[in-house]
Amino acid sequence: MSRRGIDDDEFDDEEEEEEEEHVADFDEEEAEEEEEVGRGGRKRRRSGFFDEDAEEVDDDEEEEDDDDDDDEDFDGGGGGRKRQRKKHSASSFFDEEAKVDSDEEEEEEEGEDDFIVDGGADLPEERDGRSVPRGRMLPHGEEDHEDLEAMARRIQQRYARRQSDYDEEATDVEQQALLPSVRDPKLWMVKCAIGRERETAVCLMQKYIDKGSELQIRSVVALDHLKNYIYVEADKEAHVREACKGLRNIFGQKITLVPIREMTDVLSVESKAIDLARDTWVRMKIGTYKGDLAKVVDVDNVRQRVTVKLIPRIDLQALASKLEGREVVKKKAYVPPPRFLNVEEARELHIRVEHRRDTYGERFDAIGGMMFKDGFLYKTVSIKSISAQNIKPTFDELEKFRKPGENGDGDVASLSTLFANRKKGHFLKGDAVIVIKGDLKNLKGWVEKVDEDNIHIRPEIKGLPKTLAVNEKELCKYFEPGNHVKVVSGGQEGATGMVVKVEQHVLILISDTTKEHVRVFADDVVESSEVTTGITSIGDYELRDLVLLDNLSFGVIICVESEAFQVLKGVPDRAEVVLVKFREVKSKLDKKISVQDRFKNTVSAKDVVRVVEGPCKGKQGPVEHIYRGILFICDRHHLEHAGFICVKAQSCVVVGGSRSNGDINGNAYSRFASLRTPSRIPQSPSRFSRGGPPIHSGGRGRGGRGHDGLTGSTVKVRQGPYKGYRGRVIDVKGTSVRVELESQMKVVTVDRNHISDNVAVTPYRESRYGMGSETPMHPSRTPLHPYMTPMRDPGATPIHDGMRTPMRDRAWNPYTPMSPPRDNWEDGNPGSWGASPQYQPGSPVSRPYEAPTPGAGWASTPGGNYNEAGTPRDSSAFANAPSPYLPSTPGGQPLTPNSVSYLPGTPGGQPMTPGTGGLDMMSPVLGGNSEGPWFMPDILVNVHKPGEESVGVIREVLTDGSCRVALGSSGNGETITALPSEMEAVVPRKSDKIKIMGGSLCGATGKLIGVDGTDGIVKVDDTLDVKILDLVILAKLAQA
Amino acid sequence: MASAPAQIPTSFGHELRACLRCRLVKTYDQFRESGCENCSFFKMEEDHERVVDCTTPNFNGIISVMDPTRSWAARWLRIGRFVPGVYTLAVSEALPEEMQALCEDERVQYNPPKRL
Repeated sequence: MSRRGIDDDEFDDEEEEEEEEHVADFDEEEAEEEEEVGRGGRKRRRSGFFDEDAEEVDDDEEEEDDDDDDDEDFDGGGGGRKRQRKKHSASSFFDEEAKVDSDEEEEEEEGEDDFIVDGGADLPEERDGRSVPRGRMLPHGEEDHEDLEAMARRIQQRYARRQSDYDEEATDVEQQALLPSVRDPKLWMVKCAIGRERETAVCLMQKYIDKGSELQIRSVVALDHLKNYIYVEADKEAHVREACKGLRNIFGQKITLVPIREMTDVLSVESKAIDLARDTWVRMKIGTYKGDLAKVVDVDNVRQRVTVKLIPRIDLQALASKLEGREVVKKKAYVPPPRFLNVEEARELHIRVEHRRDTYGERFDAIGGMMFKDGFLYKTVSIKSISAQNIKPTFDELEKFRKPGENGDGDVASLSTLFANRKKGHFLKGDAVIVIKGDLKNLKGWVEKVDEDNIHIRPEIKGLPKTLAVNEKELCKYFEPGNHVKVVSGGQEGATGMVVKVEQHVLILISDTTKEHVRVFADDVVESSEVTTGITSIGDYELRDLVLLDNLSFGVIICVESEAFQVLKGVPDRAEVVLVKFREVKSKLDKKISVQDRFKNTVSAKDVVRVVEGPCKGKQGPVEHIYRGILFICDRHHLEHAGFICVKAQSCVVVGGSRSNGDINGNAYSRFASLRTPSRIPQSPSRFSRGGPPIHSGGRGRGGRGHDGLTGSTVKVRQGPYKGYRGRVIDVKGTSVRVELESQMKVVTVDRNHISDNVAVTPYRESRYGMGSETPMHPSRTPLHPYMTPMRDPGATPIHDGMRTPMRDRAWNPYTPMSPPRDNWEDGNPGSWGASPQYQPGSPVSRPYEAPTPGAGWASTPGGNYNEAGTPRDSSAFANAPSPYLPSTPGGQPLTPNSVSYLPGTPGGQPMTPGTGGLDMMSPVLGGNSEGPWFMPDILVNVHKPGEESVGVIREVLTDGSCRVALGSSGNGETITALPSEMEAVVPRKSDKIKIMGGSLCGATGKLIGVDGTDGIVKVDDTLDVKILDLVILAKLAQA
Repeated sequence: MASAPAQIPTSFGHELRACLRCRLVKTYDQFRESGCENCSFFKMEEDHERVVDCTTPNFNGIISVMDPTRSWAARWLRIGRFVPGVYTLAVSEALPEEMQALCEDERVQYNPPKRL
């Protein structure tokens, strides 16, 4: 109350006088209060006095009169003397006060400009510290005993004048001057019947009119937004009580005083600016359709109702049962998804669909009480149940709203929305625009000048006036494919991209960030050469984060919009993307969890896995997140959902084993770290020697391996804000690395070129990295079989794991005797040979190339495999796979797919073999068809028993997986029992009779009529069909 | 001095309309029959079209003012100089321009509602 200071000065005189008076008044009042008991007699006299003057008396008097009545009620009776005395002094005082009061009022009316004056009168009261006890005192003019006639005249005059020069100009400051003071009547909150607030207020008004001034309340307020209560303005609670007496809508005696400070709040209501016109977009505020976009079809201002058009959310099944009178189990949380109503569908469910016409004669389909047209639901609701302000339909919503086939119409509608959302200064000089309405439709031009509503444009076509004034509403921004633009409003705000297509006022951009198509309104973009990444985070949540949502669902953020995220939900096998508001995200999930893949291999974040079943089968990539058995894989070749694929861990197999080796030793998921690290080193030289061209797709997955070279190493930042910091690389992504700074507990992302890795990284590593992406995934890939061995049951897992490690080492080991078998292998596999890009078929170079060092040769083999890894024909790798190990089986045929001897411990087994087995565990291929090769009777196998190597024919497969094998190529030797790990099926050659050991034709026999790479062309005996099958699952049939 | 109160709305529902100038609330029929007590110059009772022009069904909250001159609320809402009656706290529309011009001619103040 800043005005107080000023008031002080202005009112000095008055105040002094007043103060004096007030003191007297106060005393009196107090006395009166003390003496409340027994004043009845005196009272009568008083009222008598008032009655006399009644005709000329204004409200003040009447009020006083009433006041006395009240007193009477309370007082009971008696005690006239005191009262009399009181009257005396009181009257003298009140005369004065009335004068003062009127002076004030005069001043108020004299100049609204001199607003300070008004209300200043409350000051003295507050200053003399009586404000509290005076709570019950009546303010100005309470007991006006002046010459009433004169006063009435004066007032009349005053009001007569006011009527004309009534200045309602309400600036904020002036409004301030009207703030309530202690002298003003108070507001009391009174409980009334719900829904009867207005009625109650009106009833009280009526009561006032009927009873005249007996009712001492000043006003009654009923707010639309406050149910169950009304406010009554009066000086005393007793007045309120009196007024409310006998009103049927007011019950309960609770009357609450509104603190002065809150009085203005009561009366501050938003003037709701509802400009509901047809075709405006609104959102539903309540009910099933809460939040849904709707379009206004009709507005009934009188009834305060609107008819809107919505995409129905109707569960036809439930509706059908309901209409048939069946009990519908109500699932509370279930809201049917929006779907256009199909009348035929409804009829099929025996829902009665009637044809009706509304008042305008439009045809509708009516089901129950609901009206449908063109699949839309037409619903009439209260204006209050929709929100019409700041409705910005997203493109998707509008798209959905447009019925298929409906084109032009929908566009016009969305245009109107666009205009509604346009801000001032939408068009700027120089903007390219196109006229979209009226005679000049499709005229292009440039903005020259912007007026209030009109835009002056310079038309493109010659022969027209230099500039044309066009209404803003008839213009739309214009872009051409190739323009680089920035989105300045809407959900995609901040994104930049290039326009690739223009569909009227809708542009399709290729976003710079996501490289995905973005559809935006031409109005929402400006031409800009800026390239932004758009926003990638809101609050703590960043793109690609795994987040927990409501109702315990979770997902990965695949797109960040201005206030919401698009989240790919953790629902396997079905890409479910939801738009989630920032506040709906519960938390970020960044636990390091590992799960087991299909074959119980441990999968942890960053592992490369391959999806082996479900709709995403064949996709592969590093695991980004793991949660509740669900993997989020990032496959950069997957074009949707920012490359994320959501699959069950059970549907995946690890491709490369834990890749996170280098970084965090001791971390749960890097248990092979120590073992693997050395293995890398021998590997690299071979890669150097080859330096082959990047190998397709698979390389991507493998890129990780290359990164590993850098991850875990200590680097120094050479440039940028973190210049000089040392840290450990924890992740490499594209051209940036994430470095954990040593001096700060912080992980920062630094450009790869900005780090110097000479701290710990050796040059060769560097180059390795360069090639990293090409590096093949051999070791893991190679062999596939363990699966075919029946041996892999519960016990198998530990064994494999155990085996995996040593074998891995060996696998990489350059000393492995290589060369001789190599040749063999090459001969045996011309197809696969050719398939690997490094080795051009027929190129004579390849062989020498391989041959020289055993190490190189070794390495190359996997290369071939790897190669295939990228192709869907993975299993083909299988056939090649064993080849490196061929040396291990001296007498064996090089190509036998089943050559794996399973147990590393077996004395006869070659060091390599077990390795193979171990690796197999991870091989994606086999995992894919678990129906993979199984030993079966009548096939020819190589048996490696300690001390003997021989060919045999399986006679019987025992339940434990071992087989009874009759030795000898025709099975006429002695019969022994061999473990699966001791046997491998003999790979058939062309024109051999074969037996199919896996797949849908498992068990069938046929003839191998050709070999194509790793595929065998088989003529199946039974059906005479020619099938192309993996050599892996083919075994040579023993000649009977 | 107390002026005769304005008509009191005979219903409390959707038929209610508020005068766009003085915010007096009555039913449509009441406006049509007897115009607006504060803004008689609109002559709504003579020209029924005017009722639609000068009143609105879109208003927010009502206040019954028994004693405008001495009611703080009425003063605060700047309806303290109108006749007693039922008013609204706020209307959401402004008078049509021609009606505003009419106000000017009649030298009565008109303040359009403040937009948010």
